[in-house]
Amino acid sequence: MPYLIHLAILVGIYGILGLSLNLVVGYTGLLSVTHAAFYGLGAYATAILLTSTGLNFFVALLLGVLITSVLALLIGLVLSRFHGDYYALGSFGFNIIIYSVFLNWQSLTRGPLGIPGIRRPEIFGLNLTDNFHFLLLVLAILLLVYFLCRFIVNSSFGRALRAIREDEQALQVFGYRTTFYKLIIFVLSAALAAVAGSLFASYITFVDPSSFVLFESIFILAIIILGGLANLRGSLLGALFLILLPELLRFVGFPSDIAAQMRQVVYGLILVILMLYRPQGLVGEYKL
Amino acid sequence: MSNTGKAIVGLIILVLLVIGLAYLGKASQSSAPTTTETPTPVVETGPIKVGVITPLTGDAAALGEFVKNVTDLAVEEVNTNNVINGRTFELVYEDGKCNGTGGANAMQKLVNADGVKIVIASDCSGAVLAGLPIAEQAKVFVFSGTATSPDLTNKSLFFARTVASDNGQGRVLAEAAIAHGWKKVAVLQESSDYALGIYRAFEANYPATAGTITKEEYPGTTTDFRSTLTKLRAANADALFIDPQSPGTAERILKQLADLKWSVPLLANDIVSGNADLITNHKTRLEGALVAEQGTASLPKSQKLDADYLKKYGKEMIYRNYAQAQYDLVYILAEGINKNGTDAGKIATWVRTVKDWPGASGLVTIGADGDRVGGHVLKVIKNGKAELAS
Amino acid sequence: MGILPQLILNSIIAGAIYTMIALGFNLIYSTVKFFDLSYGVMMAIGGYGVYWLYKIIGLNLGLSVVLAILLAGLVGYLADYFVYRPLRRRKASTMVLLVASLGIFTALQAVIAILFSSQFQTLSAGEGKIYEVIGGAITGVQLVILASGLLIMLALAFFLNRTRFGRAIKAVGDDEEVARVVGINTDKIISFVFFLSAAIGGLAGVLVGFDTGIEPTMGLNLLLKGVIAAIVGGIGNIYGGVLGAFLLGTVENFGIWQISGEWKDAIAFALLIVFLIFRPQGLFKR
Repeated sequence: MPYLIHLAILVGIYGILGLSLNLVVGYTGLLSVTHAAFYGLGAYATAILLTSTGLNFFVALLLGVLITSVLALLIGLVLSRFHGDYYALGSFGFNIIIYSVFLNWQSLTRGPLGIPGIRRPEIFGLNLTDNFHFLLLVLAILLLVYFLCRFIVNSSFGRALRAIREDEQALQVFGYRTTFYKLIIFVLSAALAAVAGSLFASYITFVDPSSFVLFESIFILAIIILGGLANLRGSLLGALFLILLPELLRFVGFPSDIAAQMRQVVYGLILVILMLYRPQGLVGEYKL
Repeated sequence: MSNTGKAIVGLIILVLLVIGLAYLGKASQSSAPTTTETPTPVVETGPIKVGVITPLTGDAAALGEFVKNVTDLAVEEVNTNNVINGRTFELVYEDGKCNGTGGANAMQKLVNADGVKIVIASDCSGAVLAGLPIAEQAKVFVFSGTATSPDLTNKSLFFARTVASDNGQGRVLAEAAIAHGWKKVAVLQESSDYALGIYRAFEANYPATAGTITKEEYPGTTTDFRSTLTKLRAANADALFIDPQSPGTAERILKQLADLKWSVPLLANDIVSGNADLITNHKTRLEGALVAEQGTASLPKSQKLDADYLKKYGKEMIYRNYAQAQYDLVYILAEGINKNGTDAGKIATWVRTVKDWPGASGLVTIGADGDRVGGHVLKVIKNGKAELAS
Repeated sequence: MGILPQLILNSIIAGAIYTMIALGFNLIYSTVKFFDLSYGVMMAIGGYGVYWLYKIIGLNLGLSVVLAILLAGLVGYLADYFVYRPLRRRKASTMVLLVASLGIFTALQAVIAILFSSQFQTLSAGEGKIYEVIGGAITGVQLVILASGLLIMLALAFFLNRTRFGRAIKAVGDDEEVARVVGINTDKIISFVFFLSAAIGGLAGVLVGFDTGIEPTMGLNLLLKGVIAAIVGGIGNIYGGVLGAFLLGTVENFGIWQISGEWKDAIAFALLIVFLIFRPQGLFKR
C-alpha cells in the first residue's frame, strides 16, 4: 500500500505536468520541449525558500510560480518568433541553458550536490510527513488544475487557441493578436509546471539538477502524446501509464542488468508505434 | 471517444486494477513498518532478501554496472561458501539513476513493495541522501560502499558506509601539494557531487597562505577538453589536479593532455588510481602522479578480488577502491547477520563496533558516526601501479 | 606555446567534427524537410561497429571502418523503409516524423547500451602521432577528421550539383510532388539519401571514436551541435553548414577561454537562439 501511495503521488505530479504541457502542445499546437525547465524552476525556488527561510510551503509555492512565470514570459517572447521545428529546437535550447544554470550557479543551487532536507508542507498545523496526507494534497491540487484547464479549454480563449493551432494566419486576418494568446498560455502552462515542481521538491525532500534534463521534457511530451493531444483525460491516462510502465515491465522479468535499458527501448518503441498506428494517442482527438 | 479508444482505455484500467490488487496482496504479506523499537523479525530460515540501489542507467551507469558485478561476485561467494549459517543472500536490484528522484523511488520500492530490511545503497551520494529519510522511517538499515559525500557523515543511525568521506581524499592531496611546495595548483573538476566534494575538501585544506588555485569545471557529458586544458596551461600552474567522476572523462582528459604535449606534475582522485586499464594506457603520463587512495592493491585479498573479477567478467578492475569497499561490505554484512540475526536496528548498532576488520580494502573500522575511519593515504603512481608515497 | 594558436586549432578541430555531422543532417533535412533525430544514433552505430569488428572480432582496421559505415547506412535505410516511408505516405506532419525519429533514437541507443554495456571505450590503442602546427598541437586523427570533413563537403557539393542523381535529390528536396510527376522515383532517392547521410554520420562516429572514444550516449550531444551548426549556417545549404560548424567550434572554444568550460553547452545554444532571433535563415540561404 505505501508503495502505491508513492506511485499515486508521482502520477499526480506528472499529471499536472502533462495537463499543463497539453495546453501548449495539444491545444495551441506549439511543440515546446522545455517543460522540465519550468518544473525545475518551481522545484528549485521552493527548495531554496524552504531551506533558507521559514516560509510556509504555500507561500514558497506561490513565489516559485511567480518567478517561473516571469522567466516564462521572457522565454515565451523569444520563442514566439519561431515556428514549427524551429520552435521545438529553440525550446530545447532554453531547457539546456536553464539546466546549465541549475548545475553551475552553485552559490544559489549548490550545483550537483543538490539541496537536501526540504520541509514537507504544513497546513493548519498539520505537517504532511505522512505520504498519505501528502497524496491528498497532490490530488486536491491536481483536481484544481484539471478544472482550471477544462475551464480554459472550453472557453472562447480555448477556442481561439485551437484556431491558432489549425490556422494561425487566418486568425490573424480576423484581427486576433495571436502572439498575445500564445504568450499567455505559455506562461500559464509554465506556472502550473512550477506548481508540480514545488510539490516534487517537498515530496522527495531533495532536488538536484539531474531531475530536470532535456530527457525529462521529452518524457512529459511522451506522456501527452501517448494519452492523446488536446485531451485532458488523456494526459492523466498518459501519466498513469508511463509511470506504471516500469512496474509493468517488472512482471516481464528482464534480467536486472538490462531492465533499465529495456525500459528505454520500450519508451522509444512506444513513441514509434504510436506515431505509426495511432498518432492521436489513446483518447486524443487531434493528430499531431 | 471512438470505440477502439474506449476499448483501449478500458483495457488499461483493467490492467492497472490487476496490478494494483497484486501489489495490495503483496504489501499485506510483507511486514509493514511499525512504530515499535525493534521491527518484527523476519522468519529465520530461507534466503535473506537484501535490496541493492545502484545507478543502472544515467550518467553513472558505468559505476552501477560495475557495482552490480562486484556485489554479485561477493554474494555468490558468500552463498556458496555458506558464510551465513545455513542461509543465503537474495538480492533485489533497483536503479537509483544517480539522482534524487531515482534514489527515492528505488528506496520506496524496496522498502514498501519488497519489504526488505537491509538496503545496500551503493549509488551516488545524491541518490542515497534522497532515499535515506524513507529508510529511516521504516527502520531499514542502509549500508553503502560508494557514497562518499561529507553530507552523509552522522546523517542517520540507520546508515553506515565502508568508504571514507571525500574529506579524506581532498585533505591528503592538499597536504601533499603543500609539502611539495606547489604555489599554484590548476584544478579540472567535473560538475558532479563526488568531484565537487573532493574539491571542496582540497580547497579547505589548501589555504591562501599556501598558494592559489585556478579551477575549471566541466559538465559530465564533455568530451572535448582541449580548450579547457589550454586555458589551465596558460595559468602556469605548478601542478594539475584531475578530479573526474567517471573513467570515461578521466581517459579523455589524460589522452588530450598528451595530445597537447603538456607535461606537468599531476594530482588525481581515486577514479584515476583505481582503474587498471587507465594507468596502463597512460603509463608515461601518469608516472609520478600523486593520488589519495583508500585501500590497496597489494593485499592478498585485494589481489584475489582483482583476479576473480577478471576471471568472472573478463574485464579489468576499474573502480578499485569502491570494488573493495563493496566486497568487504557484503562480507561485513554477512558477519553482522550471523551475530545479530536480520534485525536492522541491531545490525546498524553493531556495525559501528567493527574495528580492524581484515578486508580487501585494508583494515576496516567504522566509527560511531557511521563513517569508515581513516582510509585515505597518499600514493604515487610508479611504473603503472599506485604505491605508498615515501 | 601561446594560448591563441592552440585555441584556434581547437576551434578548427571541433569545427571539423561538427561539419561532418552538419553535412549529413543537412542532406536529410533539405530532402525530406524534417529534423531526423535518429541521425544521432548513427554516429554511435558507426563507432560501435568499428569497436565490435576491429577490437572484438579482430578484423583489419580499414575493413572494419568500411563495414561499420555501411552498417550505419543500412540502419538509416531501414529506419526510412519501416518508419518514415509509411508515415510520409500518410502525409504525416513533420512533428510526427520528429517524434518518431526520437523514438528510434531512444530505442537504438538503449540497444547499444545493452549489447556493449554503458562503459566508455577507446578505439585507438596507444598514443598517436602529434604534429605541431602554427604553434599548437594537433594529432594525426584530428588531421584525418579535418581532411574528411572537407572532402565530404566537396564530394557532396560535386555529387549534388554535377551528377544527374544528385540533381534528382535536389529536385525531390525542392518539391517532392513535382519531382514525382516529372518521373523521378522519389522513394528510391529518399531511401538513398537516408542511407548516405547515415553513412556520413557513421563515419563521423568512427572518427570521433578514434579521437575521444565511444559511449552509447555519444550521439545526442554531437547531434544537437550538428543541428546548431546547420541552422546557423543556413539549413539546407552545404557550404553554410560547414561555415556554421566552424563558427560554432570557434564560439565554443573561445567561450571556454573567456567564460568557463562549464557553460559550453549553454553558450552553444545561446548562439543558436541568437541566430534564430536575428537571422533565422542562417548565414547562407538555401
